[in-house]
Amino acid sequence: MTLRRILLFSGILLILFLGMYSWNQRTHLLDDMAARLGLEVTGELLTPLDSLLRQGKDLWQRYFDLVNVHEENARLHRQVEDLEARLLANAEDLAELKRLRELIQLPPMDAGWRRLGARVLAGRMGPNAVLDSITINRGYLSGGRPGTPLITPLGLVGRVLKASAHSAIAMLITDPGSHIAVFTQEHRASGILVGRGIHRKLEVNFVQRNSTVHADEILVTSGLDGKYPKGIPVARVLHVAPSDYTQFMAITAEPLVNLQRLEEVLLLDAIGPERPATFDGQPEELVGPPPPPTTTP
Amino acid sequence: MKTLGNILWWLAFVYAAIALQAFVPSVDVLTCGVILLLQERDYHNMLWFLPLCILLQEGMGTRLFGAAILWYATVILFFNAGRWLFEAKNFLFVFLLSACLGVAFYGLNWILAPLQNIDFDPQEALNASLLQAVLIPCIWWVLTYARRWHTAPRDS
Repeated sequence: MTLRRILLFSGILLILFLGMYSWNQRTHLLDDMAARLGLEVTGELLTPLDSLLRQGKDLWQRYFDLVNVHEENARLHRQVEDLEARLLANAEDLAELKRLRELIQLPPMDAGWRRLGARVLAGRMGPNAVLDSITINRGYLSGGRPGTPLITPLGLVGRVLKASAHSAIAMLITDPGSHIAVFTQEHRASGILVGRGIHRKLEVNFVQRNSTVHADEILVTSGLDGKYPKGIPVARVLHVAPSDYTQFMAITAEPLVNLQRLEEVLLLDAIGPERPATFDGQPEELVGPPPPPTTTP
Repeated sequence: MKTLGNILWWLAFVYAAIALQAFVPSVDVLTCGVILLLQERDYHNMLWFLPLCILLQEGMGTRLFGAAILWYATVILFFNAGRWLFEAKNFLFVFLLSACLGVAFYGLNWILAPLQNIDFDPQEALNASLLQAVLIPCIWWVLTYARRWHTAPRDS
């Protein structure tokens, strides 16, 4: 009798659990509640700890870790000179690009996105963190809404998956759930970049066999998926070969950003597409070749 | 005053557990607190501590809501089943319990991955399970001593 009762009780509990699980899978109400309360508390607890650790690290780096500073300083000076020379060489191209964009009334690619800095509080936390993810100190009240892309100056990091008021969890591009529409920077071959886990290389799917793709070529976001703005560098191509199993190319790549040593990231907050100033009226000046001279019969 | 001190002790433990979880990925440190409360038969504190653990783990995780409920239900089930056979405050009991929980940890990962359409990585799940199984007795041992140190002045 007791065994029957235990089995009956367990069965009822299991049915209730599965009911709750399926209901939440459709509505995400419990997920939202857990994110708003649990993630917020976690973020608030981790922020002072993170600040304390940073202060300790800064103290160490400023006062104790002075080995090889002179050599590093000389190397950085050389690097700055090299970068200044490159900047000067590119200045003329940038000015031309700006003039041409104004001529055809095309807004710059990143005009609709605002950059916000965020600190990385932690990596994967707890047994339920099954996706490759990081926790950051910005939430839906401070620019870290779900879907917001994360970058560093080197390239794409991922995008926000769930958020509380002041903290958020972002999925990294190495997670198998990450699918990003990309172009190769040089030959503009399009494909889908897919993660395969933090310790494994990325994979580029659906690149046509007749496309030209070279090793070491940079992959940039194409913006066709509507998740990321166009033109963000994502990964470097490692290996290209025709696939043995599909009609596409088999391409592996590695992220440009070291995702295991992230400390700060930039969030790209969408502020809406910038419309050309004279979009609905006549252009202020005539664009195009000069009109032919009038001929009189 | 005693109740307040107890609650503050457990809140300090929650803070330390979250900090540890930030450095050691994929493990649940709060489980050790649940085991300790079960050993002390402190069901009053369990009433707020267990929902807090579930909320925190679900909040900081990337699974759909429900995995933490299953996990803590398994912990309580295994603990009560083991208590019939062993002395619950014994280190050997905690060691065996942690081994069983390690297996359960792997099993839950395996069951829940297809429910959320996530790829199941057996190697990663095995590593996390082993780490969880090893960490539980170690943290439990530290917690037991910290608890004795906390309760000793009152008892004397």
